[in-house]
Amino acid sequence: MSPDLTVQLAPKHEHGLLLANPVMTASGTFGYGTEYRQVFDVQKLGAIVCKGTTLEPREGNPQPRLFETASGVINSIGLQNIGVKTLIREKAPIWADWQVPVIVNIAGDTVDEYARLAKELDGVAGISGIEVNISCPNVKAGGSAFGAEPDSAAEVTKAVKAATSLPVLVKLTPNTGDITKVATAVAEAGADAISLINSVKGMAIDIIERRPATGNITGGLSGPAIKPLALALVYEVAGAVELPVIGCGGITNSADALEFIMAGASAVQVGSATFSNPHASLDVLEGIEQFMEKEGIESLKEIIGVGRG
Amino acid sequence: MATGRVTILTKPPETLIIASAPVISNTEVMPGTRLLWLEASGVAPSASPGQFLMVYCGRDTLLRRPLSVHRVDGDRLALLFTVVGKGTRWLSQRKAGDAVDIFGPLGSGFTINPDSKNLLLVAGGIGIAPLRFLADVALKEGKKVTLIAGARSAASLLPVSPPQAFFNEGGLPSNIHVVNATDDGSEGFKGLATDLIPAYADGADQLFACGPAPMYRTMAQMPELKGKPVQISLEIMMGCGMGVCYGCTIKTGSGLKQVCKDGPVFSLEDIVWEELEI
Repeated sequence: MSPDLTVQLAPKHEHGLLLANPVMTASGTFGYGTEYRQVFDVQKLGAIVCKGTTLEPREGNPQPRLFETASGVINSIGLQNIGVKTLIREKAPIWADWQVPVIVNIAGDTVDEYARLAKELDGVAGISGIEVNISCPNVKAGGSAFGAEPDSAAEVTKAVKAATSLPVLVKLTPNTGDITKVATAVAEAGADAISLINSVKGMAIDIIERRPATGNITGGLSGPAIKPLALALVYEVAGAVELPVIGCGGITNSADALEFIMAGASAVQVGSATFSNPHASLDVLEGIEQFMEKEGIESLKEIIGVGRG
Repeated sequence: MATGRVTILTKPPETLIIASAPVISNTEVMPGTRLLWLEASGVAPSASPGQFLMVYCGRDTLLRRPLSVHRVDGDRLALLFTVVGKGTRWLSQRKAGDAVDIFGPLGSGFTINPDSKNLLLVAGGIGIAPLRFLADVALKEGKKVTLIAGARSAASLLPVSPPQAFFNEGGLPSNIHVVNATDDGSEGFKGLATDLIPAYADGADQLFACGPAPMYRTMAQMPELKGKPVQISLEIMMGCGMGVCYGCTIKTGSGLKQVCKDGPVFSLEDIVWEELEI
Protein backbone atom coordinates (compact mmCIF):
# COMPACT_ATOMS: atom_id res chain seq x y z
CA MET A 1 0.00 0.00 0.00
CA SER A 2 1.36 3.39 -0.89
CA PRO A 3 1.94 5.70 2.06
CA ASP A 4 -0.56 8.35 3.16
CA LEU A 5 0.85 11.70 2.06
CA THR A 6 -2.21 13.82 2.72
CA VAL A 7 -1.86 17.01 4.70
CA GLN A 8 -4.54 19.18 6.28
CA LEU A 9 -3.17 22.70 5.93
CA ALA A 10 -6.05 24.51 7.59
CA PRO A 11 -7.36 22.34 10.46
CA LYS A 12 -9.01 25.32 12.19
CA HIS A 13 -10.84 26.40 9.04
CA GLU A 14 -14.46 25.28 8.61
CA HIS A 15 -13.78 23.71 5.19
CA GLY A 16 -10.11 22.98 5.76
CA LEU A 17 -7.53 22.81 2.99
CA LEU A 18 -6.68 19.19 2.32
CA LEU A 19 -3.66 18.52 0.12
CA ALA A 20 -3.04 15.15 -1.52
CA ASN A 21 0.61 15.51 -0.64
CA PRO A 22 2.92 18.02 1.07
CA VAL A 23 4.72 19.38 -1.99
CA MET A 24 3.78 22.88 -3.09
CA THR A 25 5.39 25.37 -5.41
CA ALA A 26 6.73 28.62 -4.01
CA SER A 27 5.19 31.86 -5.20
CA GLY A 28 7.11 33.58 -7.98
CA THR A 29 8.83 30.44 -9.22
CA PHE A 30 5.96 28.64 -10.90
CA GLY A 31 4.03 31.42 -12.62
CA TYR A 32 0.34 30.60 -12.64
CA GLY A 33 0.94 26.86 -12.83
CA THR A 34 -0.41 26.83 -16.36
CA GLU A 35 3.03 27.31 -17.93
CA TYR A 36 4.47 24.12 -16.49
CA ARG A 37 1.73 21.99 -18.00
CA GLN A 38 4.06 21.89 -20.98
CA VAL A 39 6.66 20.15 -18.81
CA PHE A 40 4.78 17.75 -16.51
CA ASP A 41 1.40 16.97 -15.03
CA VAL A 42 1.20 19.77 -12.46
CA GLN A 43 -1.91 18.21 -10.95
CA LYS A 44 0.26 15.65 -9.21
CA LEU A 45 1.48 18.36 -6.81
CA GLY A 46 0.00 19.03 -3.39
CA ALA A 47 -0.79 22.66 -4.18
CA ILE A 48 0.30 25.43 -6.48
CA VAL A 49 1.00 28.90 -5.13
CA CYS A 50 0.83 31.45 -7.91
CA LYS A 51 2.85 34.58 -8.56
CA GLY A 52 2.42 37.40 -6.02
CA THR A 53 -0.64 39.37 -7.04
CA THR A 54 -1.54 43.00 -6.42
CA LEU A 55 -4.74 45.00 -6.94
CA GLU A 56 -3.45 46.65 -10.09
CA PRO A 57 -0.98 45.16 -12.57
CA ARG A 58 2.64 45.98 -11.73
CA GLU A 59 5.62 46.54 -14.00
CA GLY A 60 8.22 45.50 -11.44
CA ASN A 61 11.78 46.70 -10.97
CA PRO A 62 14.36 47.84 -13.51
CA GLN A 63 16.87 45.38 -14.97
CA PRO A 64 19.03 43.62 -14.00
CA ARG A 65 16.60 41.48 -12.04
CA LEU A 66 18.67 38.36 -11.49
CA PHE A 67 22.18 37.74 -10.23
CA GLU A 68 23.63 34.33 -9.54
CA THR A 69 25.62 33.93 -6.32
CA ALA A 70 27.35 31.00 -4.64
CA SER A 71 24.61 28.35 -4.39
CA GLY A 72 21.96 30.97 -4.80
CA VAL A 73 20.33 33.65 -6.85
CA ILE A 74 19.44 37.22 -5.96
CA ASN A 75 16.22 38.38 -7.54
CA SER A 76 14.85 41.86 -7.82
CA ILE A 77 11.63 41.27 -9.72
CA GLY A 78 9.51 43.72 -7.75
CA LEU A 79 6.21 41.86 -7.99
CA GLN A 80 5.61 42.26 -11.70
CA ASN A 81 2.18 40.70 -12.15
CA ILE A 82 -1.04 40.87 -14.12
CA GLY A 83 -3.17 42.22 -11.28
CA VAL A 84 -6.02 40.51 -9.46
CA LYS A 85 -8.76 41.31 -11.98
CA THR A 86 -6.92 39.68 -14.89
CA LEU A 87 -6.01 36.77 -12.64
CA ILE A 88 -9.67 36.20 -11.77
CA ARG A 89 -10.76 36.57 -15.39
CA GLU A 90 -8.04 34.58 -17.16
CA LYS A 91 -6.38 32.19 -14.71
CA ALA A 92 -9.04 31.14 -12.19
CA PRO A 93 -11.34 29.54 -14.82
CA ILE A 94 -8.44 27.26 -15.84
CA TRP A 95 -7.75 26.36 -12.22
CA ALA A 96 -11.42 25.61 -11.62
CA ASP A 97 -11.04 22.47 -13.75
CA TRP A 98 -8.01 21.28 -11.81
CA GLN A 99 -7.86 18.75 -9.01
CA VAL A 100 -4.81 20.45 -7.50
CA PRO A 101 -5.64 23.37 -5.18
CA VAL A 102 -4.32 26.74 -6.28
CA ILE A 103 -3.42 29.28 -3.63
CA VAL A 104 -3.15 32.93 -4.61
CA ASN A 105 -0.27 34.89 -3.12
CA ILE A 106 -1.33 38.49 -2.44
CA ALA A 107 0.71 41.63 -1.76
CA GLY A 108 -0.41 45.15 -0.95
CA ASP A 109 1.02 48.53 -0.06
CA THR A 110 -1.51 49.09 2.70
CA VAL A 111 -3.59 46.95 5.06
CA ASP A 112 -6.65 48.02 3.14
CA GLU A 113 -5.17 46.76 -0.13
CA TYR A 114 -4.61 43.32 1.38
CA ALA A 115 -8.22 43.28 2.56
CA ARG A 116 -9.52 44.35 -0.84
CA LEU A 117 -7.47 41.66 -2.55
CA ALA A 118 -8.84 39.04 -0.18
CA LYS A 119 -12.37 40.23 -0.82
CA GLU A 120 -11.90 40.13 -4.61
CA LEU A 121 -10.70 36.52 -4.40
CA ASP A 122 -13.40 35.33 -2.03
CA GLY A 123 -15.76 32.85 -3.64
CA VAL A 124 -13.92 32.76 -6.98
CA ALA A 125 -14.09 29.25 -8.44
CA GLY A 126 -10.64 27.77 -8.86
CA ILE A 127 -9.07 29.51 -5.90
CA SER A 128 -8.59 27.34 -2.82
CA GLY A 129 -6.70 29.64 -0.52
CA ILE A 130 -4.77 32.84 -0.01
CA GLU A 131 -1.14 33.24 0.91
CA VAL A 132 -0.50 36.65 2.41
CA ASN A 133 2.84 37.98 1.29
CA ILE A 134 4.12 40.25 4.03
CA SER A 135 7.65 39.35 3.17
CA CYS A 136 8.65 40.54 -0.30
CA PRO A 137 12.06 42.21 0.00
CA ASN A 138 11.80 43.92 -3.38
CA VAL A 139 9.06 46.50 -3.04
CA LYS A 140 9.35 49.90 -1.43
CA ALA A 141 6.07 50.16 0.45
CA GLY A 142 4.39 47.24 2.17
CA GLY A 143 5.98 43.90 1.47
CA SER A 144 8.41 42.82 4.13
CA ALA A 145 7.75 46.01 6.11
CA PHE A 146 4.51 44.39 7.30
CA GLY A 147 6.21 41.12 8.13
CA ALA A 148 9.04 42.63 10.14
CA GLU A 149 6.89 43.56 13.15
CA PRO A 150 4.38 41.39 15.05
CA ASP A 151 1.78 44.17 15.28
CA SER A 152 1.67 45.04 11.58
CA ALA A 153 1.81 41.35 10.61
CA ALA A 154 -1.18 40.67 12.85
CA GLU A 155 -3.06 43.67 11.51
CA VAL A 156 -2.74 42.48 7.92
CA THR A 157 -3.70 38.93 8.89
CA LYS A 158 -6.81 40.12 10.74
CA ALA A 159 -7.89 42.30 7.83
CA VAL A 160 -7.49 39.47 5.33
CA LYS A 161 -9.29 36.95 7.53
CA ALA A 162 -12.18 39.36 7.95
CA ALA A 163 -12.45 39.84 4.19
CA THR A 164 -12.47 36.24 3.03
CA SER A 165 -13.88 32.84 3.83
CA LEU A 166 -10.89 31.15 2.16
CA PRO A 167 -8.15 29.49 4.20
CA VAL A 168 -5.37 32.01 4.83
CA LEU A 169 -1.67 31.23 4.88
CA VAL A 170 0.73 33.95 5.94
CA LYS A 171 4.23 33.96 4.48
CA LEU A 172 6.92 35.32 6.76
CA THR A 173 10.17 37.11 6.07
CA PRO A 174 13.44 36.04 7.69
CA ASN A 175 14.37 39.73 7.92
CA THR A 176 12.95 40.35 11.36
CA GLY A 177 14.20 40.28 14.93
CA ASP A 178 12.44 37.35 16.54
CA ILE A 179 10.42 35.46 13.96
CA THR A 180 8.56 33.47 16.61
CA LYS A 181 6.98 36.71 17.86
CA VAL A 182 5.73 37.51 14.35
CA ALA A 183 4.51 33.93 13.92
CA THR A 184 2.69 33.97 17.26
CA ALA A 185 1.06 37.31 16.44
CA VAL A 186 -0.07 36.04 13.05
CA ALA A 187 -1.44 32.85 14.61
CA GLU A 188 -3.38 34.82 17.22
CA ALA A 189 -4.74 37.06 14.44
CA GLY A 190 -6.40 34.04 12.89
CA ALA A 191 -4.02 32.67 10.25
CA ASP A 192 -4.78 29.10 9.19
CA ALA A 193 -1.17 28.23 8.41
CA ILE A 194 2.23 29.89 8.27
CA SER A 195 4.69 29.57 5.42
CA LEU A 196 8.32 30.56 5.72
CA ILE A 197 10.70 31.80 4.56
CA ASN A 198 10.50 34.32 1.76
CA SER A 199 13.84 35.25 0.18
CA VAL A 200 16.52 36.84 2.34
CA LYS A 201 17.54 40.43 1.68
CA GLY A 202 20.85 40.31 -0.14
CA MET A 203 23.13 42.28 -2.40
CA ALA A 204 25.91 41.99 -4.95
CA ILE A 205 28.05 44.67 -6.57
CA ASP A 206 29.39 44.72 -10.11
CA ILE A 207 32.96 45.84 -9.44
CA ILE A 208 33.66 46.76 -13.07
CA GLU A 209 30.56 48.93 -13.43
CA ARG A 210 30.88 49.98 -9.78
CA ARG A 211 27.20 49.69 -9.08
CA PRO A 212 24.76 47.20 -7.53
CA ALA A 213 24.38 44.03 -9.58
CA THR A 214 20.58 44.21 -9.44
CA GLY A 215 18.39 47.13 -10.47
CA ASN A 216 16.73 47.77 -7.12
CA ILE A 217 20.12 47.85 -5.29
CA THR A 218 19.25 45.02 -2.88
CA GLY A 219 17.28 41.92 -3.76
CA GLY A 220 16.03 38.64 -2.33
CA LEU A 221 18.44 35.73 -2.01
CA SER A 222 17.07 32.25 -2.59
CA GLY A 223 18.45 28.83 -3.41
CA PRO A 224 20.49 26.27 -1.47
CA ALA A 225 22.52 29.08 0.12
CA ILE A 226 19.60 29.93 2.42
CA LYS A 227 18.49 26.41 3.31
CA PRO A 228 20.16 26.05 6.75
CA LEU A 229 18.89 29.50 7.71
CA ALA A 230 15.37 28.64 6.58
CA LEU A 231 15.46 25.29 8.35
CA ALA A 232 16.42 26.88 11.67
CA LEU A 233 13.60 29.41 11.38
CA VAL A 234 11.08 26.72 10.47
CA TYR A 235 12.26 24.75 13.49
CA GLU A 236 11.74 27.77 15.74
CA VAL A 237 8.33 28.70 14.36
CA ALA A 238 7.06 25.11 14.41
CA GLY A 239 7.99 25.04 18.09
CA ALA A 240 6.20 28.31 18.80
CA VAL A 241 2.81 27.88 17.11
CA GLU A 242 0.17 25.16 16.92
CA LEU A 243 -0.63 25.92 13.29
CA PRO A 244 0.64 23.92 10.32
CA VAL A 245 3.95 25.31 9.13
CA ILE A 246 5.02 25.21 5.49
CA GLY A 247 8.77 25.10 5.03
CA CYS A 248 10.42 26.94 2.18
CA GLY A 249 13.94 28.03 1.35
CA GLY A 250 16.53 26.29 -0.78
CA ILE A 251 14.73 22.97 -1.12
CA THR A 252 16.32 21.22 -4.09
CA ASN A 253 15.55 17.54 -3.51
CA SER A 254 13.49 15.22 -1.34
CA ALA A 255 16.19 14.97 1.34
CA ASP A 256 16.00 18.74 1.79
CA ALA A 257 12.21 18.55 1.98
CA LEU A 258 12.35 15.74 4.55
CA GLU A 259 14.66 17.87 6.71
CA PHE A 260 12.01 20.59 6.80
CA ILE A 261 9.28 18.06 7.58
CA MET A 262 11.34 16.53 10.37
CA ALA A 263 11.99 20.05 11.70
CA GLY A 264 8.23 20.41 12.08
CA ALA A 265 6.89 21.51 8.70
CA SER A 266 3.64 19.89 7.57
CA ALA A 267 4.31 20.79 3.96
CA VAL A 268 7.06 22.28 1.84
CA GLN A 269 7.41 24.73 -1.03
CA VAL A 270 9.89 24.22 -3.84
CA GLY A 271 11.13 27.53 -5.22
CA SER A 272 14.10 28.47 -7.34
CA ALA A 273 15.11 24.81 -7.69
CA THR A 274 12.49 24.70 -10.44
CA PHE A 275 14.68 27.00 -12.55
CA SER A 276 17.58 24.59 -12.40
CA ASN A 277 15.37 21.53 -12.70
CA PRO A 278 11.89 22.23 -14.07
CA HIS A 279 10.82 18.85 -12.65
CA ALA A 280 12.14 19.66 -9.17
CA SER A 281 8.79 19.76 -7.37
CA LEU A 282 7.69 16.46 -8.84
CA ASP A 283 11.08 14.90 -8.08
CA VAL A 284 10.76 16.06 -4.45
CA LEU A 285 7.34 14.45 -4.20
CA GLU A 286 8.48 11.15 -5.70
CA GLY A 287 11.54 11.15 -3.45
CA ILE A 288 9.46 11.65 -0.31
CA GLU A 289 7.17 8.80 -1.33
CA GLN A 290 10.12 6.49 -2.01
CA PHE A 291 11.74 7.42 1.31
CA MET A 292 8.54 6.60 3.19
CA GLU A 293 8.14 3.28 1.43
CA LYS A 294 11.75 2.34 2.09
CA GLU A 295 11.57 3.36 5.74
CA GLY A 296 8.20 1.73 6.28
CA ILE A 297 6.45 5.00 7.11
CA GLU A 298 2.71 4.66 6.53
CA SER A 299 1.69 8.25 7.05
CA LEU A 300 3.51 11.53 6.62
CA LYS A 301 2.18 12.57 10.04
CA GLU A 302 4.53 10.03 11.61
CA ILE A 303 7.57 12.04 10.60
CA ILE A 304 6.47 15.65 11.01
CA GLY A 305 8.75 17.11 13.67
CA VAL A 306 10.54 13.85 14.48
CA GLY A 307 13.95 15.40 13.87
CA ARG A 308 13.58 18.24 16.36
CA GLY A 309 15.82 16.54 18.92
CA MET B 1 -24.53 27.14 -24.72
CA ALA B 2 -26.14 23.72 -24.56
CA THR B 3 -25.71 22.29 -28.02
CA GLY B 4 -25.53 18.75 -26.77
CA ARG B 5 -22.12 18.47 -28.32
CA VAL B 6 -19.43 16.86 -26.22
CA THR B 7 -16.24 18.83 -25.92
CA ILE B 8 -13.28 16.65 -25.24
CA LEU B 9 -10.78 18.45 -23.11
CA THR B 10 -7.42 17.00 -23.81
CA LYS B 11 -4.52 17.42 -21.46
CA PRO B 12 -2.06 19.92 -22.90
CA PRO B 13 0.81 18.10 -24.54
CA GLU B 14 3.97 18.07 -22.50
CA THR B 15 6.00 19.50 -25.34
CA LEU B 16 8.96 20.85 -23.42
CA ILE B 17 11.54 18.20 -22.86
CA ILE B 18 14.24 17.92 -20.24
CA ALA B 19 16.75 15.56 -21.79
CA SER B 20 20.08 14.14 -20.90
CA ALA B 21 21.75 14.64 -24.27
CA PRO B 22 24.87 12.63 -25.09
CA VAL B 23 27.78 14.73 -26.34
CA ILE B 24 28.84 13.77 -29.86
CA SER B 25 31.67 16.27 -30.13
CA ASN B 26 32.86 19.44 -28.47
CA THR B 27 35.46 21.37 -30.40
CA GLU B 28 37.03 24.80 -30.22
CA VAL B 29 36.12 26.22 -33.61
CA MET B 30 37.46 29.70 -32.90
CA PRO B 31 39.57 31.00 -30.00
CA GLY B 32 37.34 30.76 -26.90
CA THR B 33 34.32 29.59 -28.88
CA ARG B 34 33.14 26.02 -29.01
CA LEU B 35 30.82 23.98 -31.17
CA LEU B 36 28.98 21.35 -29.15
CA TRP B 37 27.06 18.67 -31.03
CA LEU B 38 24.49 16.76 -28.99
CA GLU B 39 22.31 13.73 -29.59
CA ALA B 40 18.90 15.21 -28.77
CA SER B 41 16.18 13.16 -30.39
CA GLY B 42 13.37 14.62 -28.31
CA VAL B 43 14.38 18.23 -28.83
CA ALA B 44 16.18 18.71 -32.14
CA PRO B 45 13.33 17.90 -34.55
CA SER B 46 10.94 20.35 -32.91
CA ALA B 47 13.40 23.26 -32.64
CA SER B 48 13.03 26.20 -34.98
CA PRO B 49 15.54 28.98 -35.78
CA GLY B 50 15.87 31.59 -33.05
CA GLN B 51 14.73 29.25 -30.29
CA PHE B 52 17.03 28.38 -27.43
CA LEU B 53 17.72 25.72 -24.83
CA MET B 54 18.24 26.15 -21.12
CA VAL B 55 21.42 24.20 -20.53
CA TYR B 56 22.49 22.87 -17.16
CA CYS B 57 26.10 23.97 -16.61
CA GLY B 58 27.34 22.06 -13.58
CA ARG B 59 26.97 22.13 -9.83
CA ASP B 60 28.67 25.49 -9.43
CA THR B 61 25.78 27.15 -11.20
CA LEU B 62 22.21 27.48 -10.00
CA LEU B 63 20.61 28.81 -13.14
CA ARG B 64 20.70 27.12 -16.49
CA ARG B 65 22.31 29.06 -19.33
CA PRO B 66 20.21 30.04 -22.32
CA LEU B 67 21.96 29.02 -25.56
CA SER B 68 20.59 29.39 -29.08
CA VAL B 69 20.17 26.37 -31.27
CA HIS B 70 22.99 26.79 -33.80
CA ARG B 71 22.34 23.89 -36.13
CA VAL B 72 20.01 20.92 -36.42
CA ASP B 73 20.81 17.73 -38.26
CA GLY B 74 18.05 15.18 -37.81
CA ASP B 75 18.06 14.12 -34.15
CA ARG B 76 21.27 16.03 -33.48
CA LEU B 77 21.69 19.65 -32.63
CA ALA B 78 24.62 21.96 -32.17
CA LEU B 79 25.22 24.81 -29.77
CA LEU B 80 27.84 27.47 -30.45
CA PHE B 81 29.02 29.30 -27.38
CA THR B 82 31.79 31.53 -26.11
CA VAL B 83 33.41 30.66 -22.81
CA VAL B 84 32.62 33.67 -20.62
CA GLY B 85 32.14 32.34 -17.08
CA LYS B 86 32.00 29.27 -14.88
CA GLY B 87 28.93 27.82 -16.58
CA THR B 88 30.25 27.97 -20.12
CA ARG B 89 33.67 26.85 -18.85
CA TRP B 90 32.06 23.73 -17.38
CA LEU B 91 30.23 23.17 -20.64
CA SER B 92 33.46 23.60 -22.62
CA GLN B 93 34.92 20.66 -20.69
CA ARG B 94 32.23 18.12 -21.63
CA LYS B 95 33.64 15.36 -23.78
CA ALA B 96 32.18 12.91 -26.26
CA GLY B 97 30.32 10.30 -24.23
CA ASP B 98 29.39 12.74 -21.44
CA ALA B 99 25.80 13.94 -21.27
CA VAL B 100 24.49 17.48 -21.09
CA ASP B 101 21.13 18.23 -19.51
CA ILE B 102 19.07 20.39 -21.84
CA PHE B 103 15.59 21.87 -21.54
CA GLY B 104 13.65 23.10 -24.52
CA PRO B 105 13.16 24.12 -27.24
CA LEU B 106 12.12 27.43 -25.73
CA GLY B 107 11.08 30.87 -26.86
CA SER B 108 9.63 32.45 -29.92
CA GLY B 109 12.10 32.41 -32.79
CA PHE B 110 12.54 34.01 -36.21
CA THR B 111 9.68 34.12 -38.68
CA ILE B 112 10.41 33.87 -42.40
CA ASN B 113 7.53 35.28 -44.41
CA PRO B 114 6.46 32.85 -47.13
CA ASP B 115 6.60 35.55 -49.81
CA SER B 116 10.06 36.82 -48.87
CA LYS B 117 12.65 35.97 -51.53
CA ASN B 118 15.80 37.73 -50.35
CA LEU B 119 16.87 37.59 -46.71
CA LEU B 120 19.65 39.65 -45.18
CA LEU B 121 21.22 38.16 -42.05
CA VAL B 122 23.54 40.26 -39.91
CA ALA B 123 25.72 38.54 -37.32
CA GLY B 124 27.83 40.37 -34.77
CA GLY B 125 30.43 38.06 -33.23
CA ILE B 126 28.84 35.06 -31.50
CA GLY B 127 25.51 36.34 -32.88
CA ILE B 128 26.18 33.95 -35.72
CA ALA B 129 24.87 31.20 -33.39
CA PRO B 130 21.12 31.33 -34.19
CA LEU B 131 21.60 32.80 -37.66
CA ARG B 132 23.36 29.72 -38.99
CA PHE B 133 20.27 27.63 -38.21
CA LEU B 134 18.08 30.30 -39.78
CA ALA B 135 20.24 30.34 -42.94
CA ASP B 136 20.03 26.54 -43.24
CA VAL B 137 16.24 26.59 -42.96
CA ALA B 138 15.88 29.56 -45.32
CA LEU B 139 18.04 27.89 -47.97
CA LYS B 140 15.97 24.75 -47.66
CA GLU B 141 12.88 26.87 -48.31
CA GLY B 142 14.48 28.21 -51.49
CA LYS B 143 15.24 31.70 -50.17
CA LYS B 144 18.27 33.69 -51.21
CA VAL B 145 20.39 34.44 -48.17
CA THR B 146 22.99 37.16 -47.77
CA LEU B 147 24.91 36.89 -44.52
CA ILE B 148 26.99 39.77 -43.23
CA ALA B 149 29.25 38.29 -40.58
CA GLY B 150 31.15 40.67 -38.36
CA ALA B 151 33.93 39.76 -35.93
CA ARG B 152 37.01 41.22 -34.27
CA SER B 153 39.41 39.50 -36.61
CA ALA B 154 39.67 36.68 -39.15
CA ALA B 155 40.28 34.16 -36.37
CA SER B 156 36.86 34.91 -34.89
CA LEU B 157 34.87 34.38 -38.07
CA LEU B 158 32.98 31.14 -38.31
CA PRO B 159 33.30 29.54 -41.74
CA VAL B 160 29.77 29.22 -43.06
CA SER B 161 29.04 26.72 -45.77
CA PRO B 162 25.84 24.83 -46.39
CA PRO B 163 25.77 21.26 -45.05
CA GLN B 164 26.02 18.27 -47.39
CA ALA B 165 22.33 17.62 -46.90
CA PHE B 166 21.64 20.95 -48.58
CA PHE B 167 23.42 19.84 -51.73
CA ASN B 168 21.86 16.38 -51.52
CA GLU B 169 18.45 17.99 -51.59
CA GLY B 170 19.30 19.96 -54.72
CA GLY B 171 20.03 23.25 -52.97
CA LEU B 172 21.76 25.93 -54.99
CA PRO B 173 25.05 27.18 -53.51
CA SER B 174 24.51 30.42 -55.42
CA ASN B 175 21.63 31.12 -53.05
CA ILE B 176 24.00 31.90 -50.19
CA HIS B 177 26.31 34.85 -50.18
CA VAL B 178 28.59 35.52 -47.23
CA VAL B 179 30.19 38.91 -46.64
CA ASN B 180 32.75 39.11 -43.86
CA ALA B 181 33.66 42.21 -41.89
CA THR B 182 36.42 42.45 -39.29
CA ASP B 183 37.35 45.22 -36.90
CA ASP B 184 41.03 44.92 -37.82
CA GLY B 185 40.58 44.24 -41.51
CA SER B 186 42.28 40.87 -41.30
CA GLU B 187 39.46 39.36 -43.37
CA GLY B 188 36.97 41.00 -45.70
CA PHE B 189 35.66 44.48 -45.08
CA LYS B 190 37.48 46.51 -42.43
CA GLY B 191 34.81 47.83 -40.13
CA LEU B 192 31.58 46.83 -38.45
CA ALA B 193 28.95 44.50 -39.86
CA THR B 194 26.45 47.34 -39.54
CA ASP B 195 28.58 49.53 -41.85
CA LEU B 196 27.67 47.16 -44.67
CA ILE B 197 23.93 47.07 -44.03
CA PRO B 198 23.07 50.14 -46.19
CA ALA B 199 24.71 48.50 -49.22
CA TYR B 200 22.62 45.34 -48.91
CA ALA B 201 19.38 46.43 -47.25
CA ASP B 202 17.76 47.63 -50.45
CA GLY B 203 17.28 44.22 -52.03
CA ALA B 204 16.27 42.46 -48.82
CA ASP B 205 12.65 41.57 -48.13
CA GLN B 206 13.45 40.81 -44.50
CA LEU B 207 16.39 41.34 -42.18
CA PHE B 208 17.45 39.15 -39.28
CA ALA B 209 20.15 40.20 -36.84
CA CYS B 210 21.88 38.80 -33.82
CA GLY B 211 24.67 40.56 -32.00
CA PRO B 212 25.45 42.88 -29.12
CA ALA B 213 22.98 45.60 -28.08
CA PRO B 214 25.09 48.47 -29.58
CA MET B 215 24.69 46.81 -32.98
CA TYR B 216 20.91 46.97 -32.65
CA ARG B 217 21.04 50.55 -31.45
CA THR B 218 22.98 51.46 -34.59
CA MET B 219 20.47 49.61 -36.73
CA ALA B 220 17.55 51.34 -35.03
CA GLN B 221 18.98 54.68 -36.21
CA MET B 222 19.57 53.67 -39.85
CA PRO B 223 17.42 55.49 -42.39
CA GLU B 224 17.94 52.55 -44.77
CA LEU B 225 16.05 50.29 -42.37
CA LYS B 226 13.05 52.52 -41.81
CA GLY B 227 9.94 50.56 -42.65
CA LYS B 228 11.90 47.35 -43.28
CA PRO B 229 10.86 44.24 -41.36
CA VAL B 230 13.84 43.58 -39.09
CA GLN B 231 13.90 40.79 -36.51
CA ILE B 232 16.54 40.75 -33.80
CA SER B 233 17.43 38.28 -31.08
CA LEU B 234 18.04 39.66 -27.59
CA GLU B 235 20.35 38.22 -24.97
CA ILE B 236 19.67 38.70 -21.28
CA MET B 237 20.12 36.89 -17.97
CA MET B 238 17.27 34.40 -17.59
CA GLY B 239 15.95 32.48 -14.60
CA CYS B 240 13.35 29.99 -15.73
CA GLY B 241 13.42 30.23 -19.53
CA MET B 242 9.67 29.94 -19.83
CA GLY B 243 8.04 33.08 -18.59
CA VAL B 244 7.33 32.38 -14.94
CA CYS B 245 10.03 34.25 -13.02
CA TYR B 246 9.83 37.66 -14.74
CA GLY B 247 13.61 37.97 -14.52
CA CYS B 248 14.06 38.93 -18.17
CA THR B 249 11.28 41.48 -18.59
CA ILE B 250 11.86 44.36 -21.00
CA LYS B 251 9.71 47.29 -22.11
CA THR B 252 8.59 47.27 -25.71
CA GLY B 253 6.28 49.35 -27.84
CA SER B 254 3.59 46.77 -27.16
CA GLY B 255 4.07 46.61 -23.40
CA LEU B 256 6.18 44.54 -21.06
CA LYS B 257 7.63 41.42 -22.64
CA GLN B 258 9.58 38.50 -21.31
CA VAL B 259 12.61 37.82 -23.47
CA CYS B 260 12.44 34.09 -22.76
CA LYS B 261 8.82 33.55 -23.71
CA ASP B 262 7.76 36.44 -25.95
CA GLY B 263 11.26 36.52 -27.49
CA PRO B 264 14.18 36.17 -27.71
CA VAL B 265 13.29 37.37 -31.22
CA PHE B 266 11.62 40.75 -31.43
CA SER B 267 10.87 43.24 -34.12
CA LEU B 268 13.61 45.92 -34.12
CA GLU B 269 11.08 48.74 -34.14
CA ASP B 270 9.23 47.25 -31.17
CA ILE B 271 12.13 47.71 -28.76
CA VAL B 272 12.15 50.92 -26.74
CA TRP B 273 15.89 51.54 -26.96
CA GLU B 274 15.92 54.46 -24.53
CA GLU B 275 14.48 52.17 -21.86
CA LEU B 276 16.39 49.00 -22.61
CA GLU B 277 18.70 48.38 -19.69
CA ILE B 278 20.60 45.44 -21.14
